[in-house]
Amino acid sequence: MIPGWLRRQRGPDAVGKTGVAGAGVPAGVDLKLDADDLNMCVQCGLCLPHCPTFRVTGDESMSPRGRIKLMREVQDEGAPVTQDVLRSFESCVQCRGCEPACPSGVPYGHLMEQARESLAEEHLITPRWQRLAFKPLSQPKVLQLGSSALALANKTGLVPRRLGLPDDLPVRQEPLRASGDDVYLFTGCVMDAWQREVHAAGKRVIEAAGFGVTPTNELAPCCGALQAHAGLAGETRALAERMMRTLSDDDRPILVDSAGCGAAMKDYGHLLGTAGAAAFSARVFDIQEWLAEHVDRLPSVAAPLDLRVAIQDPCHLRHVQRAHAGTRVVLRPFVREIVELDDDGLCCGAGGAYSVLEPELAGAIRERKVGVIDQVEPDVVASANPGCSMHLAGAGVATVHPMQLIDQALSQPQPQPVGA
Amino acid sequence: MDALLADLRSALSDDRVRYDAAQRSLIAHDASVFDGGVSGPVCYPVDTSEVQAIMRIALTHGRAVVPRGAGTGLAGGAIPLGAPVVIAMTKMNAILDVDLDNRVAWVEPGVINLDLSRHLRPMGFHFAPDPSSQQVCTIGGNVANNSGGPHCLAYGVTDAHVVSLEIVLPSGEVGTLGTLGPDDHGLDLRGAFVGSEGTLGIATKVAVRLTKNPPAVRTLLLSFASVRDAANTVSDVIANGIVPAAMEVMDQKITIAVENFVGAGYPLDAAAVLLAEVEGLEGGADIDAERISDLGRANGATNVRQAESDEERALLWKGRKTAFGAIAQIKPDYYLHDTVVPRSALADVLETIYDIAKRHDLIVMNVFHAGDGNLHPLLLFDARIEGELERVHAAGADILRACLAVGGVLSGEHGIGVEKQGYMEELFSADDLDHQNRLRKAFDPACRANPGKVLPMGHSCADIQALRAVPTGVWG
Repeated sequence: MIPGWLRRQRGPDAVGKTGVAGAGVPAGVDLKLDADDLNMCVQCGLCLPHCPTFRVTGDESMSPRGRIKLMREVQDEGAPVTQDVLRSFESCVQCRGCEPACPSGVPYGHLMEQARESLAEEHLITPRWQRLAFKPLSQPKVLQLGSSALALANKTGLVPRRLGLPDDLPVRQEPLRASGDDVYLFTGCVMDAWQREVHAAGKRVIEAAGFGVTPTNELAPCCGALQAHAGLAGETRALAERMMRTLSDDDRPILVDSAGCGAAMKDYGHLLGTAGAAAFSARVFDIQEWLAEHVDRLPSVAAPLDLRVAIQDPCHLRHVQRAHAGTRVVLRPFVREIVELDDDGLCCGAGGAYSVLEPELAGAIRERKVGVIDQVEPDVVASANPGCSMHLAGAGVATVHPMQLIDQALSQPQPQPVGA
Repeated sequence: MDALLADLRSALSDDRVRYDAAQRSLIAHDASVFDGGVSGPVCYPVDTSEVQAIMRIALTHGRAVVPRGAGTGLAGGAIPLGAPVVIAMTKMNAILDVDLDNRVAWVEPGVINLDLSRHLRPMGFHFAPDPSSQQVCTIGGNVANNSGGPHCLAYGVTDAHVVSLEIVLPSGEVGTLGTLGPDDHGLDLRGAFVGSEGTLGIATKVAVRLTKNPPAVRTLLLSFASVRDAANTVSDVIANGIVPAAMEVMDQKITIAVENFVGAGYPLDAAAVLLAEVEGLEGGADIDAERISDLGRANGATNVRQAESDEERALLWKGRKTAFGAIAQIKPDYYLHDTVVPRSALADVLETIYDIAKRHDLIVMNVFHAGDGNLHPLLLFDARIEGELERVHAAGADILRACLAVGGVLSGEHGIGVEKQGYMEELFSADDLDHQNRLRKAFDPACRANPGKVLPMGHSCADIQALRAVPTGVWG
C-alpha cells in the first residue's frame, strides 16, 4: 500500500468522494458505461485545448478529462449525481473535438451519449418540455406547420436575432422531386423545413455530375441525432429502424448535406449493433465526401466565383466522420481562394439544440470562432452543416453551404472566349 | 470555512470561487498517478489584484495556496495537500504585449504554450521551450517547473527564455524579478523563482524571450536494431560537435503505440528510432543532416529517412509529442519517470532499466530527450490489479537509484512535486537542503505557498505546521 498513489476502487464497497448524497441528490446511479471504454482515459489532458467549453471557461469540470473523471466516480465509486455533476455533463456540446486529439482513442462521444441516456432514463436530464419539443421532428406535417408559424413569427420580429434564423424563412414550399435513382439525397427534418434551398442546390450539383437523385422526403423524416444528444436513444433507435426499412430496397448511396445527420446515420451500426445497420451505415456519405470521388464528372467553369472562402468544418464532419477533406476537393475548382481557420477545427458552439439550451456558453464559443474567422478576412464562410451556418449567421457572419457555392458557380453565365 | 468562502467571494465573485464536491474532486488531480490530494476552495482570478486578495485572505485564514495551470504535471506539483485554497490561473490567459524590436513578449501565466507560438508565427517568431504537452500546458506551469522540451537541446530550457516576472508573494505583496535590460543588478532572484514549483509565490505576468523561426529545418528519422545503437549515435553526434535542435529516441513498444495513433510512417520493426532535427541556414542544415545520417549508419542504422514536407515533419513530431497519452492502448495507467544521466552513460542505464522492469515483471517503454540525457521510462500498469502498483513503485525507486548511481539527477523537467521529494536527501546533503529552505522562507516565511512540495518535510518544518492546520479526517 503506497500512500497517496492512485487506487481505483470498483464494486459495491467503493466509497464515493465526489460529495455526499443529500436530500434530492441521487446516489448509486448506474451510468451503464462500458468499463473498458471508461478505462481508456489516462488523464493526460491533451484533450483540454480541443474542448470548446474548457477553452472559454478554463474549468476542469467543463473539459473531457474532467467529465470522464466524474463518470468514473459516479459509475465506479457510487458518487452522487449532484447538480454540479449534471452541469458538467449537460454543458458538453458533444462536438467530439476531443476524440481525434486523444492518443489513446477514448470513445468519448459514445460514453457521453450513454451517460446521457442513463441519466435521461432516471429523469435527471432532458425535462418533459424538451422531450415534447423533439416529437415534431419525426412528423413532417406537424413540423411544416410549426415551421410556417415560426416563419411568420420571424417576419414579425418575434424571434431573437441571435438564433440566426434566415430572414426569408419559407412560409410555404414545394417538396423536391426525384430526378433518377442513382443516389438518395437525405432531406431530414428541420433542415428541409428551413433550408430546403441547400438541398435544392446539392441536388442540382449532383445532377450536373450526371447522377439521378431521389430526395428522401417523407421516406426518412428524421435521423434522430438531436434525440441521441439529449439522451433519448430509444427514439433514435426507432427512427433508425424506420429509415433502414424505407431506404433499403436497393443499395444506392445515401448522400447527406448536414454533417450532424450524416454522423448520426453513419453511427447506426454502433447504435443498433446489427450487421444490417452496419451495412446501412456503410451506404451513408457526406455529400462533399461522395462528390470528391466524382469531381471529374462536374462540368468545368471558365471563371470560378470571385470569392475568398473560409472553410468552417462542422465538428461532426471533421471530428466524427473525419471526412472534411472532401469539402476542399469539391470547392477548389469553383472559387478563387480557399483559406483555412487556424484553430484546429474547434467547435463554433452550435451543437444541434445546444445554442438554444446553453445560449451563454454557445455565445462565448461563437465569439472565439468569429475572432478566428476575422483573422483570415474571408468574403464568405462555407459550412456544411445547417446548425453551424445559422449559429454563425446569428453573429453576423456571412455563411453559405459549399453546395450552394458550387451550384452558383455552375449556374452563372460563363464568359465567352474572345472571338467566339 | 464559511467565512473563508465569503471573503474570497466578495473579493472575486460567486461564480469564480468554487467549493462544490465535483470541482474539488477534479482539482485534487493532475496528470500524475497521485491520488492523495484534497482541495479547498478553487478560485479563478482574472488579474493581479485578485491574486493579491486571495493570498491575503488565505493568510488571514491560515490557509495555504496552491497554483494550478492546465493540470498536466506529472510529479504532482499542483496537487492540493491539506485543503488549501487553489488558484486556477486559466482565466488569466491574455498575450499582453509583443515587442518585436526587443524580442520580448509580456504574457499572463494562463496562456497555453502553443497558443503563444501560434500567435507569434505570422511574425516569424516562437517561444522556444516546447514540452510534449505544449498544446495544453501553460506558460505559468512552464515557469513553475522550468520546463524543457525536445528543442531545448539547442535553445535551453524555460529559464533561458524568461527575462522578467511580475510575482505575488504569499504575503500578498507584488514584486518584479529580473529586468528587460541586458543586465540584472544583484542576485538573480528571477533564476531562483523559475522552477520553484509555486513554493515562492505566484507569477502573474511573464516576460518571455522570442526566438526567430529558423530559415531551414531538416528532420531525420533513423531506425536501429537495438536501443544501444540509437543511444550511441546520440552520444557520437554531440561528441562530434554537432548541436541539433532536437534528438529524441523512442523504443519499439512506444513507437508501435504512437504509429497506431498518428500514422506517420514510423517503422514498426525497429528496436528503436531516433528523431533528429537540425536547423539553420539551408547549406549548413543539409551538411549537419548528412553528418548525423553518416554517424547513424556507422552505428548500425538500418534505415535513414528525411521528412520531405512540413506536413510529414509535423506528423512525426505529433507522434513523439503524444506518446504518453497513447499508453491506454496497452494498459490503463502509467507511471512516467523523469531522470537525467550523463549522455555517455545512456546506453548502459537503458539496459539497466529494461532489466529492472523485467525483474519486477512490468512493461517498460522508453521515450526520451536523448540529446540531453533526459530519460522518460514509462512503467505501465493497471491500478485495478492487486499488487501491480506496489511493483511499479518499487521499480521506480530502483530506476531512480540506478540513475543517481551513474551521476544522474532526480528530474529533468517534470519537477520534484510530491513525487521525488522523498529522494531529495539522496541527492542533496542536509546542508544543501537547509540552504534551499532558507531561500524559500525568504519569500514565504509562513510556509503558505504550495507546502508539502519539493523540499522534504524534515527540511521544511513549517510545512508540517501548515498541513496540520487542516481539520481532521480531511485526508480520508
